[in-house]
Amino acid sequence: MDIRPESTAAMQEQLPPGCDAALGADEAVIVARGLGRTYGEGIAAVHALRGVDIDLARGHLTGIMGPSGSGKSTLMHILAGLDEPTEGSVVLDGTEITDLKERALTQLRRDKIGFIFQTFNLLPTLTAEENIRLPLTIAGRKVDEEWVAQLIDTVGLGDRLTHRPSELSGGQQQRVAVARALVGRPAVLFADEPTGNLDSRTGDEVLDLLRRSVEVMGQTIVMVTHDAHAASIADRLLFLQDGRIVHDCAHMDRDEIFEVIKSLEDAR
Amino acid sequence: MIRIAWRSLVAHKLRSFLTALAILLGVAMISGTYVFTDQIDRAFDEVFTEAYSGTDVTITRKASFTSQFSQALAGLPESMVDDVRAVDGVGEAYGYIAGQGAIALDGEVVETGGSPTLFFSYVPSEISATSYVDGEPPAQTGDLGISQKFAEDEGLAPGSSVTVITDTGAYDTRVSGVFVFGSESSLGGSVLLNMTFEDGQTWFDMAGRVSEIDVQAAEGVTPDELAARIRAALSEEAEVKTGEQAAADQSAQISEAIGSFLNPVLLSFGGVAVLVGAFTIFNAFTMTVAQRRREFAMLRALGASRRQVLFSVTGEALGVGVVASIAGLFVGLGFAAGINELMKAADVEIPLSGLVMEPRTVVVGLAVGISVALLSALIPAVRATRVPPIAALQEGSSLPPSRYSRLMPYLAVVVAVVGIAGVVNGMYGAGSTTQRLLGIAAGAVLLFVAVAISSKYFVAPVARAVGGWPMALVIVSGLAMVAAAAAVWGLGAGLSVALVGLLWEGAVQVVGIVLGAAGVAFVLWILVQEAREAWGLTRRENLSAARLARGNSMRNPARTAATAAALMVGLGVVVFVAVFAQGLRSSFIDSFDQVVRGDYVITGANFLPLPAETVRRVESVPEVDAAAGIELQQVQVDGNETTRPPLYAADPYTLERVWDFDWIDGDDDVLLELEGGGAVLEQQTADSLGLRVGQGFEVLTAEGTTTDLEVLGIYRDPIMLNGLLVSTAVYDRLYPRRQPFMILASTGGASAATTQAIESALADVPTAQVLTADEYKDDVVGQLNQLLNLFYGLLAMSVIISLFGIVNTLVLSVYERTREIGMLRAIGASRRQIRRSVRYESVITSVIGGLLGIVVGVVFAYIVTTRFGGMGIKFAVPGLQLLVALGVAVVAGVLAAILPARRAARIDILEAIHYE
Repeated sequence: MDIRPESTAAMQEQLPPGCDAALGADEAVIVARGLGRTYGEGIAAVHALRGVDIDLARGHLTGIMGPSGSGKSTLMHILAGLDEPTEGSVVLDGTEITDLKERALTQLRRDKIGFIFQTFNLLPTLTAEENIRLPLTIAGRKVDEEWVAQLIDTVGLGDRLTHRPSELSGGQQQRVAVARALVGRPAVLFADEPTGNLDSRTGDEVLDLLRRSVEVMGQTIVMVTHDAHAASIADRLLFLQDGRIVHDCAHMDRDEIFEVIKSLEDAR
Repeated sequence: MIRIAWRSLVAHKLRSFLTALAILLGVAMISGTYVFTDQIDRAFDEVFTEAYSGTDVTITRKASFTSQFSQALAGLPESMVDDVRAVDGVGEAYGYIAGQGAIALDGEVVETGGSPTLFFSYVPSEISATSYVDGEPPAQTGDLGISQKFAEDEGLAPGSSVTVITDTGAYDTRVSGVFVFGSESSLGGSVLLNMTFEDGQTWFDMAGRVSEIDVQAAEGVTPDELAARIRAALSEEAEVKTGEQAAADQSAQISEAIGSFLNPVLLSFGGVAVLVGAFTIFNAFTMTVAQRRREFAMLRALGASRRQVLFSVTGEALGVGVVASIAGLFVGLGFAAGINELMKAADVEIPLSGLVMEPRTVVVGLAVGISVALLSALIPAVRATRVPPIAALQEGSSLPPSRYSRLMPYLAVVVAVVGIAGVVNGMYGAGSTTQRLLGIAAGAVLLFVAVAISSKYFVAPVARAVGGWPMALVIVSGLAMVAAAAAVWGLGAGLSVALVGLLWEGAVQVVGIVLGAAGVAFVLWILVQEAREAWGLTRRENLSAARLARGNSMRNPARTAATAAALMVGLGVVVFVAVFAQGLRSSFIDSFDQVVRGDYVITGANFLPLPAETVRRVESVPEVDAAAGIELQQVQVDGNETTRPPLYAADPYTLERVWDFDWIDGDDDVLLELEGGGAVLEQQTADSLGLRVGQGFEVLTAEGTTTDLEVLGIYRDPIMLNGLLVSTAVYDRLYPRRQPFMILASTGGASAATTQAIESALADVPTAQVLTADEYKDDVVGQLNQLLNLFYGLLAMSVIISLFGIVNTLVLSVYERTREIGMLRAIGASRRQIRRSVRYESVITSVIGGLLGIVVGVVFAYIVTTRFGGMGIKFAVPGLQLLVALGVAVVAGVLAAILPARRAARIDILEAIHYE
């Protein structure tokens, strides 16, 4: 079923190679079918998502892009179990999550999901290390010290572990947040504009860290961004517009991404 | 700016409501106190006006002063009635007998709960305020008229047999009729009785005398004129007043006796509540000002002046103050009604008219409520003006530290020093008692403020200590959950039963059983939950919630401190009262054990004196070795009107056998010299009268008799015989008859058989209560505890107000942390964990408040009891009560957290993480 609007279909030839071709189907860690999300009712109804189907492969970094109001955040929230779709289903690592009860959702978050927020959202009362260990503490899980040490090493904060978030730079805070998201070995790590509040240099440190976690640890990451530079580390890029996936592309560099964005903006 | 203040109030309904509640309750307590005491005043006014409505002039024996312990015994010569009748302008004049006694039905004394049982002889005239509604007035000896209320309460009717007991003995009577007094069926809680004039003279040992003469003027003569004529005709010993004057005087005298105790006590508890409210308001405004930092900056950036920002915040406080104070006045009416019920429950019957709201009540209530609101908001408001416009562009919601913040520790020291100075000056300084008490109160308030200022330095260590034992925190707050659940359930069940009881009496038991079962199930459920989670698989979850809570409570120490301070004040006063009372209790018991050698204490029911011959009857019991009757009166010494000491009298020979004196100057031998016209004095009395052994002095009784005495010895006994002691021989010179208030008997050990023997010897003195020494101690301690419970009940209000303060703080800090809570939920925290972390934070805060309160209360009690060491009050720490106080703090913390914790747990993750 071709869900793309006519206009974008017409622009097909200008797109970089690799887009909208059937990508190699590895083992899918997230399978979403017919996702729809409507806010409000009747005339006031806003359709944030309209019939989205996705299969996300394990060990890939998938970027979700699109202009403001395109539904990219809604999509990520639904995939992560933070929001419920009005239609469709999501299976995350073998679990159907769209109908889960509060308690099971909490368990899901503990076991299978990691989060990185645009605004870092570290707990100001805890030190960097305590923040990294927080998900384990909350879940009351046994701490795998070797793993924590390895993470801290990867994140590269050895000398700042006892500092409070207010004593860290933005980049350092976000790196702590990445470590915090990884500490529970989640099936999927969701990153919501992870570089949105950072300058390009510290942003690069965070992107580098995310990329390495994919390469070295085989981490699956879903990242929402509208920064073309950030999106360029993705293995695969989904472009959304008006609640639909309009392009599904393999890795692209920054300039190629710009072109796609531009073509979307022109089409409006 | 007014509109901004108003919108802010309306937009934050919960916050405004909680803040307003703090003021409302304080104002309610103050206005309630006034309403309550005003209604007593008015009730007595009405009663006495009614009693004297037919009387133009009344003549009594002139009293040199009003004795605390008895009314005039001597009265006026009966012949004076004829003298009065002879005065020109007198229409009618009747002498009558009045006195106090008791009534026994089937050998059991009727309990009046402290109210008097008043006898007065029947006057066959319209002067009398009594009118008979059933039967006939007493006409012959042995007839008794009874008041309607008493008849109804005891199920009596004309023909019933009733025993009358006075301090001359017991008399069998028959009810001849039932009367109403004016329009009242009773006079307050007191029992009113009518007898014939002749019986009155016999019962009250008034042969040839009358208690009072009431006169009705002939037509055309004004009461004032008549009073003047009668005064001229009679001797000096007669006090002549118009009926109106007599009514006003008696009413004033009684309401002063009640008001001088109740008013200060109730008002000071109201003051404590207001103080707690002030902390709560200060805290609420400080927090909201911090949260609205960007809003103020924006207003400033748009051109608002500092003054306008100041007015916007104080305007909001004014709004809260006005609305809450007005509501508080109305709640005060309910509060007064509540004390009425409390008094009834405690068997204290006082006459009550309808609830009266005097203009004074309104003025004081509004002034206190509004000014407290404004003053408490002033510092936060000033801080709001210091927000720079640039803050509109910055993140975060903390205010710049005050310019003076580094001076705070010094300020705390200064305030504490001033406070201590106030207390010390109040305790040792010159000035009237009122001034000194006010000094102590002001000093205490300042001390509380000083502790509050410096308490933020205690927050971190205490929070670390409490939160550092997360396991203990989990268990303690788990237990407190159970206690809180039980308390809430008990309250709810009690209320429902009471409500249902009002509506549908038959169903009470069924409802009670259902509620009971539901309550037990509920408490069990919570218990199981707590136990499962404290010990079960999810244990680590709790610990992490406890650690989060510790971090949160240390995040803003000043705020935690201010919240805790409110609880500190309430609990501090509770602890002070508890420690002080413990001192009083143990001092009484120690003192009793030290001085009383007797095994039995015999006292009169309803605080009545015993018939004089009771002593002989006790002595006649074979088991009794010695029995000493102790008389109690009040006298004036050498014209000293400020200290009128109690005068005790006993037979020295028998007293020596039941009493151990702690002689400072003298020994037991001086007791034998008392007969000759000497007295021995308690050290404090001797000090305050400036008397030493060997000096002579003159005593004056309330009835005007005098005698000269010499100080023979000085002893120490601040609790029991705390005045001067004379022999019965001297007593007989001063007073017309003996009426011991207490008889001490030594029997060489108490036993059931001995008790039985004494009781059967006193079978026809139903008012006599035979108690072993231990029973008597328990009885006195029980009375003290009853008073204490009243105090605790009143102080509970302050604790409740501080509870609202904690709720307010938690709601606001949850609101501040919305995003953080969303994040915690997103990374796997369950709703229950969020709820728990809020609850633990609350418990940490309340434990800090509780600990501070306990320390402050104990220290303050120490200061006061050491000062009053001379009055025999020792410093004793009631360990159990302190633990209970801490428990109350923890339960308060748990209760306060219910609403905020629910709000925190309901926070939507998605909204929270996008929340600015």
